[in-house]
Amino acid sequence: MRDYASPGVAIVAVGAILVAGVYVLAVLDRLLGMIVAGTSIRLGALLAEPVQSGALLVLQERRTTERPDAAGWALAPALFGGLAAVALAMVPLDRDIVAADPATGFVVFSAAIAMVMIAIYLHGWSPNSAFALHGAYRYGAQALSFQIPFLLAMLATALPAESLSIVDIVDAQKSVWNVVREPAGLPLYLVVGVAVSFWGPLNLPDAADLAGGTVVEDSGLDRLLWKGARAAMLVAVAAMGAAVFLGGWWGPWLPGPAWVVLKTVALLVVLLASGHLLARVRIEQFVFVSWVLLIPLALLNVFVSGALLL
Amino acid sequence: MTLEAVLVVAAALFGIGLYGALSQQSFVMLMMGLELMINGGILALAALWSRSAGGNPQGQMLGVVFMTVMAAEMSLGFALITSVYRVRRADITEKLRRLKG
Amino acid sequence: MNGLITDGVFWLFAVGSVVTAFRVFRTDSMMRAAFFLLASFAGVGGILALLGAEFLGMVLILMMAGEMLVMAIVMVMFMMNPAGLNPMWMVHQHRVAVVAGAGSFLALASLPFVVDLPDRPAPRPEEATAELGTELLGGSMLVFQTAGVTLLSAMIGAVVIAHRNGRFGEAEQGSLEPALEPPGEEKG
Repeated sequence: MRDYASPGVAIVAVGAILVAGVYVLAVLDRLLGMIVAGTSIRLGALLAEPVQSGALLVLQERRTTERPDAAGWALAPALFGGLAAVALAMVPLDRDIVAADPATGFVVFSAAIAMVMIAIYLHGWSPNSAFALHGAYRYGAQALSFQIPFLLAMLATALPAESLSIVDIVDAQKSVWNVVREPAGLPLYLVVGVAVSFWGPLNLPDAADLAGGTVVEDSGLDRLLWKGARAAMLVAVAAMGAAVFLGGWWGPWLPGPAWVVLKTVALLVVLLASGHLLARVRIEQFVFVSWVLLIPLALLNVFVSGALLL
Repeated sequence: MTLEAVLVVAAALFGIGLYGALSQQSFVMLMMGLELMINGGILALAALWSRSAGGNPQGQMLGVVFMTVMAAEMSLGFALITSVYRVRRADITEKLRRLKG
Repeated sequence: MNGLITDGVFWLFAVGSVVTAFRVFRTDSMMRAAFFLLASFAGVGGILALLGAEFLGMVLILMMAGEMLVMAIVMVMFMMNPAGLNPMWMVHQHRVAVVAGAGSFLALASLPFVVDLPDRPAPRPEEATAELGTELLGGSMLVFQTAGVTLLSAMIGAVVIAHRNGRFGEAEQGSLEPALEPPGEEKG
């Protein structure tokens, strides 16, 4: 029988972890920016900055456009955040500490990632604005390209566990982590993870060259919620990467949950650093690389990890 | 959640899908109707699998086959829409009076 | 208590799924129609998970998300009035369709009350996913392979049909603009 936390506990726990994760992410992002730029770091300002800019957005006036799809506009950040919560709920903190461990955890996570493109399309389409729709289309091209490598890269991790449950996948990494078993998996997953929550070099839908892309018409609370949901998705992607590639709770000395948090933060640093160190990629380049390079590489990864198991 | 209740829901989805597939002029809306009909079929199948066929795994297998049908229908449908638009500039069924390409 | 919650969730999904399915054909925008259809599919996916077919339900949602996006792109590319700024009512043979839809609903919905279906519930729904996996690569492997080959041929067929260069040169050759007035010269 699979483990499920009671609904109330699960909702509160996942929500709290998401909010904490988004805060940590905001601080880390700022810190990495300062390190890369070589400016002096003032810790107090660093810790207060996310709260300040969040409060500023709450107080800002909300805008609207001519004939928007109001329901869709309001729903998009909620859908995006909810999907991040679903994705994060699949990640186990320890063998017994998990919000939900269905036998199909892998598929639930993949379905959440696939629904992200609907959330972003809805967000770009609903304000009835040209740049926002451009952003939505860019994410459409991006998402349809990264879906297959993403599924294949994660699928390879399910092979050693002989199970689609995330707890089983982590459990099977007791002796060897998947990052050692299949070296191509983690880099593929990280590339795709940046693309899923369109961060840094793959921030094409909300890009500056579109004056903000899908967020161009958002202001105030709308913008805060959307940015929060996007950051939450990145946290969920990093946590899942830590679970399926870096061995989740397995590690010496420290208790399991501490290892999960450490590994998640390590992956977050890598993901966020890409935003400060790499130039933005053009959409057609990303689509080309996805179909021509990443899919064959991911297939090879699956074949090799399957052959090693035989 | 009795078997009858799920089957009635499946029938409702099928009926709405059939209405859409017959009444809509736009190709895409027509395909949405087809999708809904297959959707109702999958739901009825899963209900019978879970409540009436003793959980025989071949029932789920049939569900996978249904989804294959759905995917094939969609891919070929979109390809035909693209082709028809290119040749005839048609986006609704009324613009296709002749079958000759 | 547990059964009550399951029932409540089931009816939530069921009513939501049917209402959104109906709204697909009663909205002014094709984009909204696509979103409604996706919502309907998500509801069905939820019901499948409740019935114990977790894998099928989740794969249905996974598949439909991608499909709706393609559908939305196709609609904006080719269809008139995708934005829903004007009322949309593009139907033909409406009365026939209503009768057919309602008739098929009544006929199908009465079936479970007329036919005496055997009452053999699945014994272990929590192992359904593992059983499906064994079945896919065991007894039904040939079916699974056939489904895979069918999808591959559908993919190849779709590429061939949608390709710009047909057997007889460029597909656009001889294509015509639609007539602006309804009774205008027949095109194509």
